[in-house]
Amino acid sequence: MMSNHNLRTVISFEVRRTITKKRFWIATLIVPVALAIVFGLVFASNNATNNSIAAQKSSKFSFEYTDASGLVSQPLVKKLGGKLATSVADGIHDVKSGQIDAFFSYPADPSKQAVDVYGKDVGIFNNSKYSSLATRLLQLSADLKIASPQLSVIAQGSVKVNSTTFINGVKAPGIKGLIPPLIYLAVFYLVIVLLGNQMLNSTLEEKENRVTEMILTTVDPNTLIIGKILSLFTAGLLQMAVFVSPVVLAYVFFRTSLSLPNLDLTSLSFNVVSMITGALILLGGFTLFTGTLVAIGAVMPTAKEAAGFFGVMMAMLFIPFYISSLIVSHPSALIVQVFTYFPYTAPVTGMIRNAFGSLNPLEAVTLVLEQFIFGYVVLRIAVQLFRFGSIEYSKKVSIRTALGLMNRR
Amino acid sequence: MAFANHLVIDDLSFDISRGETFGFLGSNGSGKTTTIRALLGIYQPTAGTLHIDGRVFRPEDGRQLGYLPEERGLYKKESVIDVMVYFGRLKGLSRQRARSWSLEYLERTEIADKASIRLDKLSSGQQQKVQLGVTIMNDPELLILDEPTKGFDPVNRNLLMDIIEGQKRAGSTVMMVTHQMDEVERLCDRVILLKDGRAEAYGTIDEIQDHYGGRTIRLRYSGTIPDSPHYVVSLRDRNYAELKFTDVSDESAILKELVDSGLQIREFTTGKLSLNEIFLRVYGAEGSAVAK
Repeated sequence: MMSNHNLRTVISFEVRRTITKKRFWIATLIVPVALAIVFGLVFASNNATNNSIAAQKSSKFSFEYTDASGLVSQPLVKKLGGKLATSVADGIHDVKSGQIDAFFSYPADPSKQAVDVYGKDVGIFNNSKYSSLATRLLQLSADLKIASPQLSVIAQGSVKVNSTTFINGVKAPGIKGLIPPLIYLAVFYLVIVLLGNQMLNSTLEEKENRVTEMILTTVDPNTLIIGKILSLFTAGLLQMAVFVSPVVLAYVFFRTSLSLPNLDLTSLSFNVVSMITGALILLGGFTLFTGTLVAIGAVMPTAKEAAGFFGVMMAMLFIPFYISSLIVSHPSALIVQVFTYFPYTAPVTGMIRNAFGSLNPLEAVTLVLEQFIFGYVVLRIAVQLFRFGSIEYSKKVSIRTALGLMNRR
Repeated sequence: MAFANHLVIDDLSFDISRGETFGFLGSNGSGKTTTIRALLGIYQPTAGTLHIDGRVFRPEDGRQLGYLPEERGLYKKESVIDVMVYFGRLKGLSRQRARSWSLEYLERTEIADKASIRLDKLSSGQQQKVQLGVTIMNDPELLILDEPTKGFDPVNRNLLMDIIEGQKRAGSTVMMVTHQMDEVERLCDRVILLKDGRAEAYGTIDEIQDHYGGRTIRLRYSGTIPDSPHYVVSLRDRNYAELKFTDVSDESAILKELVDSGLQIREFTTGKLSLNEIFLRVYGAEGSAVAK
């Protein structure tokens, strides 16, 4: 009863003081502000491009052409307001003298040779309208010769393909089944990268402020540490919500303006076993990494000295990516197996393998159990290191000493 | 209690009765803070047990305890009132009660205008006042104070002594580590003198004074002090001497005996050794650096 009350008190105090820090909001808002700036620039440039395209579409210009290939349709040219030049030299001369806006010289084999385009300069972006029309004229003329819209589309290679593969006679989800479990990986990275430093500093603060003895005689260290971890997780969720909000807002309200692709989330495939496995690996990995960072904070006298160990933890997080192609293509390779079971590389390796379906049930159970057992042990050690280690204030505590004291209990 | 084969506390045994104020005295490094940390479960004793109210202390038991450690510190980046309310909540007070108690306390200690100020903007003395407030805000049954007035000016020291005395009157059991012997004489019912992790003396102040000389005659004189069955010379330094009674003779009889022996007496006073003198006598040079 008292423990629950204290847990709530610790969480509310820690969350409040975390989210009222300037540093937290600078770190939190830097991504959405950067995204807003990028979206703003994309929006502005898309508007400019659209205006330019619209202006090009509505603008008519006079042109002449010569056609060595015999492919260009004269009636089409006439319809577009062009005419045949007597020679290439005349056509170029007419452009130079300003009598016409553009001249196109089609070669004998446009599939191998370039179409030469000459025009009155109207700016680096607007000049593209000449080559666009020259190309379009050739395409439309080819379509007329094929005389079949279907064949034209096929000739252009615009063919839709629906692939269906089977695993043990059951339809495989493919890329649509890959995305949902990989979301856990993204969450894991975000949480550890964003909150890792705060996890490290969460117990260092008590130590640096000499508040350890006061707090340890007021609240149970387990309650304190768990409260701190939960408050960090809450702050992390808030950070993620702030990160994601501009993307969601942009998608919902400005999708067209920003040229964002239309995501059909209903087509995603959710495999229950894979999702549960991913969630368990995420939880186990979070516990292990958090416990380790808290333990480091408890034995280090200052944030500066703890920073070196933080780098090692981050490396553990990113190392599996160096062999990501091997993890996907050869999950039975020795290094992949080592990474799957080494506690600190296991979460990332396991989540990738889980998403790609190469983690068999036995491996999944072993990995999840290992993560939770290691996580629990490390968390217990972290609490004890905090209890006995942080009392040493400005000294770096030998883990052996702290654990020796712990064993006497 | 040992750290890496270094014995810090050796065969120490003491008890504190409910409602009494107990002085925990000793020179620096004599093991006072270690004993308190072991008592509060921060350190685990290598042998033996330390009980509060018959049980090993655990904060989660919700017992009413206030501890002011030697290492001072609170959450420095937070405001005074936020930190006080936080600790009040952890000690079982409602938010409103913790807030109102804190504001009253800050008023009493003349720092009410600092309630919304960050702790690191306060002077060290003001921070200590806040910390003492946090320590006593749950009206603790047991109050453990490790050098509570360290670093205070005489005015504020007096104010804090009044607060501690108030807690004592309210029924708190107080265990106090201090090097201020006047504080001990003012507040403590019993004391323990710790030296090299062992109890050098343990009892009421009278008992300690009796142990270190009992009734004493301080004498400034010329001549030779005669031998007598009624006293022994416990200290002799040129023309100064301290005589310790060996029976129930009264001071006037001894004065007559000394005068009759032809001793020229320039000063004759009687009394007991002060705690400060006892401290200096027990700890010698190391004690003189600590005692005032």
